Amino acid sequence: MNGESVIFGVLNIAFVLLISPFFMMVIKRVKARVQCRTGPHLLQGYYNLAKLFTKETLYSEYAGFISRIAPYATLSILLVAALQIPLFWIPGEELITANILVFLYLLVAGRLLIALLGLDTASTFGGMGSSREMSLSAVFEPVTVIVCAALVYVMGSFSIHEIFRTAHAMFPVFSPTVFLLSVPLFILIIVETGRVPVDNPETHLELTMVHEGMLLDTSGRNLALFELSQAVKQTLLMTILINVVFPVGIALDLSIPACILGAVLFVVKGTILCVIIGFFESAYAKMRLFQIPNFFMIAFFFSILTIFIEVIL
Amino acid sequence: MILTEMAPAWIRICLILTLVSGGFLLSSRNLRNLVRTYQVQSFLLVLIALGLTALEQNMVLLLVAALTLISKVCGIPYCIGFIQKRMSLKQDLTFSYLRPPGALMLSILIILLVYICFARILESLYEANSLFFLGSVIGVSLVLMGLIAVCTRKMAISKVLGYLSMENGVLAFGLFVTELPFFIEFVVIIDLIILVLLTSIMTVGIDSSIEEYKDRMQEFHLWSEEGGIS
Repeated sequence: MNGESVIFGVLNIAFVLLISPFFMMVIKRVKARVQCRTGPHLLQGYYNLAKLFTKETLYSEYAGFISRIAPYATLSILLVAALQIPLFWIPGEELITANILVFLYLLVAGRLLIALLGLDTASTFGGMGSSREMSLSAVFEPVTVIVCAALVYVMGSFSIHEIFRTAHAMFPVFSPTVFLLSVPLFILIIVETGRVPVDNPETHLELTMVHEGMLLDTSGRNLALFELSQAVKQTLLMTILINVVFPVGIALDLSIPACILGAVLFVVKGTILCVIIGFFESAYAKMRLFQIPNFFMIAFFFSILTIFIEVIL
Repeated sequence: MILTEMAPAWIRICLILTLVSGGFLLSSRNLRNLVRTYQVQSFLLVLIALGLTALEQNMVLLLVAALTLISKVCGIPYCIGFIQKRMSLKQDLTFSYLRPPGALMLSILIILLVYICFARILESLYEANSLFFLGSVIGVSLVLMGLIAVCTRKMAISKVLGYLSMENGVLAFGLFVTELPFFIEFVVIIDLIILVLLTSIMTVGIDSSIEEYKDRMQEFHLWSEEGGIS
């Protein structure tokens, strides 16, 4: 570990924490605009977090230690994951082993903690949400692995830093396999962040909620931590798509102008992707639970197709 | 010169998108989307034919592109769109044998099988030009994916789109491997237009399954109980 990798860790975590609530609000704003509403202010996410951090945290009388540690543990896990995904600068040396399989395990660990939290509060909605989340995960996890396998096969490395470097080197020449990869990676964002048509993050209806069901009994600081975790997770998944498909501007050396340019371009690309996600969510209705595997199958089909095309070409 | 250099990359992207459109034809439930997908698939074949023209300087390919543009991108989708306006149903939700996830899985297996078979049969082609090998594999895969659509879809209109997709696969294969003569392609397109016209005539039953067709024709007094057209 050298000084550069420590700077990378600090910058990456600070940047991901800073920018994630903004991206969440961009999506909400686009969805509101499509529905002919004004929508929240783009800084509303920060105000909400500030408000929640000052509120009292209440616990269910049945809640055990999981309810107390899960919010902190989930955010910590995602921040460790953030150390693996360079947002706007790829350092020469990795701070920790930036392996895509480790990244997947970290995402799964975060999901497991939230599912345990849903059960820990002993509420009906929490249990129902956990049950649904785990059922969907059992179907989607193999697809996620195949999507990552396609990514690794095309880029020729398990290291996320190396994958981004290869994508940056390939960039001006448009590769059909990278284009194909963008579809399963986009579906991965939709599924992992619980967005329409898989789940609706803005509903609290008994019949439809999955992710929100597990968090229904959290409040105050804990809810703020979960909302921040969700936003960080979304930004990290978006970063994979952005830096693989359109890696223009990503800094390869530690210089202030390159890092500033990389960060600004990342915000612009992230905003554009958020607008696309917002329109995508607005264009689709939530799927019935048993129809959701059909959606996963599209990601599976594209991933296998990517590997196949890469083999032939 | 620039066109000749760009053509292989352009053709590769179009071929892959053609295969993706085949996947959409298997999984989409919205009939309007199905017709649009077929239209896009045909347009991609036009682009491929133009790319091959730039690559090989063969004017017959230009004629094939023009013919495909007129018939498959404009004419046939317009006819099917006309039929759709008369339909009360907008979606094809019923499937036989396989539902979309199963059909997509099967199509993946088919693509792999075709690749393995062609890797042995067309070994020399692969060594000579991987682009033409890719085109042949995707062409035959598209034919078989169209066949899956014909077998798994219940509505007559979706089956027709499956047949049309199969023909697109034949055209793709013909463009890359057999150098399908222009005259044969012309006759095939005439057959397709007749197929779509016949389908238009039988609009009364287009939104029903094949099994319900006879009942629907009797309902509209187009079929007598004795078993003949009245």
